[in-house]
Amino acid sequence: MSKITLKDIRLSEYTLDNLGLLRRLRENLMKTRPEVCIERARHTTRYLRDLSSDGEPMETRYAKAVAYFLSKKEPLFFDDNLLAGTTTSKPFGAPVYQELTGMTIWPELDTISTREKNPLILSREDAEELNFDIFPYWMERNILEYTRKKYNNPGCMRLFERIVFFLASKAGTISHTVPCYRKVLERGIEGIIEEASTREDEVRKKGTDTPEDRHSLEFYQAVQTVMKGVLDYAANLSRKAAELAERESDPSRRENLLKMSEVCARVPAKPARTFREAVNSLWICQVAVHAENINMAISPGRLDQVLYRYYRNDMDNGMLTVREAIELIGCLWLKLNDNTNLVPETSEELFGGAGTVPAVTVGGVGEDGEDAVNDLTYIMLRVTELLKLRDPSVNARYHYEKNTEEYRDRVAEVIVNTKAVPAFHNDVVDIKVLENQGTSTEHARDYAVIGCVELASAGRSYDASSSIIFNLVSALELAMYNGKRPATGDEQIGPQTGDPAGFSTFEEFWEAFKAQLTWLIGEAIKLNEYFGRVHQEILPTPLLSAFFEGPLDKGRDLIRGGAVYNSSGATHIGFADTVDSLSAIEKAVFIDRRCTFAELLKALRDDFRGHEKLHAYLVYKTPKYGTDDPIAVKNSQNLIRFLYDFYQGHTNYRGGKYRPGYWTMTNHAGQGKLSGALPNGRKAHKVFASGITPASQAAGDLSACLKAVGGLESVCIPSGEALNLKYPSVKHNGDIKTFAQAVESYFRYGGLHVQFNIMSYETLIDAKKNPEKYPELLVRVSGYSAYFKDLNEAMKDEIITRTAYDLDTGRAVPFPEEYRSMLAFE
Amino acid sequence: MFDKILDWLTLRPLRMKRLRKRFLKCLESEAAEEFLEMLLKFMSLAFLLDRDFRRNIEGFNGRYLFKSRDNSITVAVIFEDGRMKVHEKVLEDTNVTVVFRNGKALMGYLLSPKPDILGSLLRQDVTFNGNLNYVYKFAYMAKRLQLMATGEV
Repeated sequence: MSKITLKDIRLSEYTLDNLGLLRRLRENLMKTRPEVCIERARHTTRYLRDLSSDGEPMETRYAKAVAYFLSKKEPLFFDDNLLAGTTTSKPFGAPVYQELTGMTIWPELDTISTREKNPLILSREDAEELNFDIFPYWMERNILEYTRKKYNNPGCMRLFERIVFFLASKAGTISHTVPCYRKVLERGIEGIIEEASTREDEVRKKGTDTPEDRHSLEFYQAVQTVMKGVLDYAANLSRKAAELAERESDPSRRENLLKMSEVCARVPAKPARTFREAVNSLWICQVAVHAENINMAISPGRLDQVLYRYYRNDMDNGMLTVREAIELIGCLWLKLNDNTNLVPETSEELFGGAGTVPAVTVGGVGEDGEDAVNDLTYIMLRVTELLKLRDPSVNARYHYEKNTEEYRDRVAEVIVNTKAVPAFHNDVVDIKVLENQGTSTEHARDYAVIGCVELASAGRSYDASSSIIFNLVSALELAMYNGKRPATGDEQIGPQTGDPAGFSTFEEFWEAFKAQLTWLIGEAIKLNEYFGRVHQEILPTPLLSAFFEGPLDKGRDLIRGGAVYNSSGATHIGFADTVDSLSAIEKAVFIDRRCTFAELLKALRDDFRGHEKLHAYLVYKTPKYGTDDPIAVKNSQNLIRFLYDFYQGHTNYRGGKYRPGYWTMTNHAGQGKLSGALPNGRKAHKVFASGITPASQAAGDLSACLKAVGGLESVCIPSGEALNLKYPSVKHNGDIKTFAQAVESYFRYGGLHVQFNIMSYETLIDAKKNPEKYPELLVRVSGYSAYFKDLNEAMKDEIITRTAYDLDTGRAVPFPEEYRSMLAFE
Repeated sequence: MFDKILDWLTLRPLRMKRLRKRFLKCLESEAAEEFLEMLLKFMSLAFLLDRDFRRNIEGFNGRYLFKSRDNSITVAVIFEDGRMKVHEKVLEDTNVTVVFRNGKALMGYLLSPKPDILGSLLRQDVTFNGNLNYVYKFAYMAKRLQLMATGEV
């Protein structure tokens, strides 16, 4: 039976003109400048330093620190949003996670408010508190330095700190996951506390005293402690809202405050009864998760499914209207934008512009395998279309055998109208990919997107999907230069795999490349394991664990493998440039014998100056990934398969497999800027192609491009892929249909994901030149959305130069002649 | 009172004024060869004369080694008992060792209002071995000193 009762799935009668609250809240958000918020750093430091003992088990001690912060956290109501709770003490705040990477802003405490790129306001008093009171306590205690000391400054850590080989996100985060908020909505925090208490009693009754039993006891106690902190925060919100209501003269504001007071007195302590209670309960839990874990890609999951029963119930009982549901979802979308990352200027320069990427997933099939699209799916799509916000990162699942064409076309229409969101995910393939990883069919069908594009069985799988961000080009260069890289000079970094000038076949080079890959990935995995074990030791996560299926059953924290499913994700930068370079070497050196390997390396060292003929040959005559050239197809498939086999052969500290993926956030721009010229003709310090997308301007035919990317073995990409496509325009209904059909074709070829920017080269070039004309221009980067003006220059260039396809002809639109110098091979 | 008498006897404020001038001149110079020397001298004196600035090293123990890549400069800086000591020698058991290409590179890393991060990384202008939080703290103090010298704080 259809779950669609809306007369118009487009909900076109609801606009920002007649949704005044959402319009006002959005306008406020857009003009609010971000501020550094030290509230969390202050309270957690005070608790750990002054009010607790080093001798206490870290699981309970850390739970108490987070609970202490939540109980002290100021209940604030900055605007007329219908939902109570704020991530930080600022209207738009960047929290300091001093135990992770927060201390990297220490040198900037006096200048962060005025820095050129993405400044964050920091008051003199707060800067002094960080400098004199908070940061000194953490000098030896943050994850990075604790790990360095414990493992004696290992080589893998020093490689990581060179930046140009791989990044290890665990230094800065337990993140990139999808909690199970359904559990809180159905049972309430009190239900979770009760379960933890019962489990604690059961362990005690066993009468055994193994290390595992002791950990279980500590874990169950920690869950109860930290959950009480969440209750304190909700109670404070309720009390404060009532106080404010008493003083409020505006009747509608007063009514809203009273309602929030009533809602927070009920949830998240108890099960939600209404749609509004469910939405607010979920939001308070999201705030609470960030009290413990960094604000990076903690993704609320399948909200159209999680919230549907409350919506349906209220609608059926006449307690809710579509307008009210739109307003509540709109308020949630705006709340998800109330915080941003705290990033030092170096990171802004190289990798800047990212939001906090809480991903919301809609549509697709349910656990029963049938169409799960419902009224809320369309409400969420409409809210996304109206608000055009950076966050949440909205992802639409599409099952071409189960979902309707109307749904598919509606998602396409929202993309066209926002010019960027949501991203499209292929249910048919995504589910198979997860099943292949050992996820049960029902659980695989209930997947949600983490952060950018990664897949997780929602609330059951802890995937830490950005554990490793690996630069494939670094391994390629190590193979080309016998274990050295131009970026790190004459230092012998990798194993000596031989001077390729002496290689007589491409296979010899391929073996050298694989040797460098396995060595370097091995180092990245080693470091991730070190970080993981240190997290287990000093930074447990009982709060997040309570919002998962598994930890309470197993009596084990999420970071110790408590979730039902476990994995670590490794994503790869420079896929297309690496594949094209391999193909160029094969063709130029070993098939056409157009140059020797030594001549090729000389040309690369000279950045092709004086080698123009060879450069033109490499750019225009060698096989390119994204076309049907058999060499390109072979090399892309071989690389995908090799990486999959290698990663899957490694088990992480939580007992899960490593999963490779291909999405790059802004790292492909930053890493490109740090890399030398490549055999595919890309010049030194130019950006790499994003995600799994073919190199800019390399794949001239859309259909061949979709076939090539879709043809990659999808089960070998379990941590997701980001295919970025660009259309200059999609004008009318017929075009939208064509657009949606192209997506479906790609999915039938086997592609996992695709996202779009609907904008021309000219618009983007103008937006770079005149940012003031485009303050809210939303773009898809490589798995998430950003405001174009916030991106660094390299990232802007990468988005500008991405191949744009004419939807009618399927051919690449010529890049404007006068701006060709922006292209990677120019 | 004792501090004031000592200041007067040792002409510290006058020395501070002179050092400030030389420090600012060094920041503006193209080569900035003397940067580390100027910075450490100015920092040392600022700790003696400026109570607020001195708070940065109260209760702070840190051992730094600054080395130029060509080994022409080796300076150890020790913060201990609320004092800063500078020695031209190699130091064992450092919290962090900072290796820099030249004075200008180190200045660029610590003070530039808009650091050339890309260039700095590519040239490996400044590298570290040890606890980075000690680098961050030192960089904060150096930046604060620059802002004090230019009158911005």
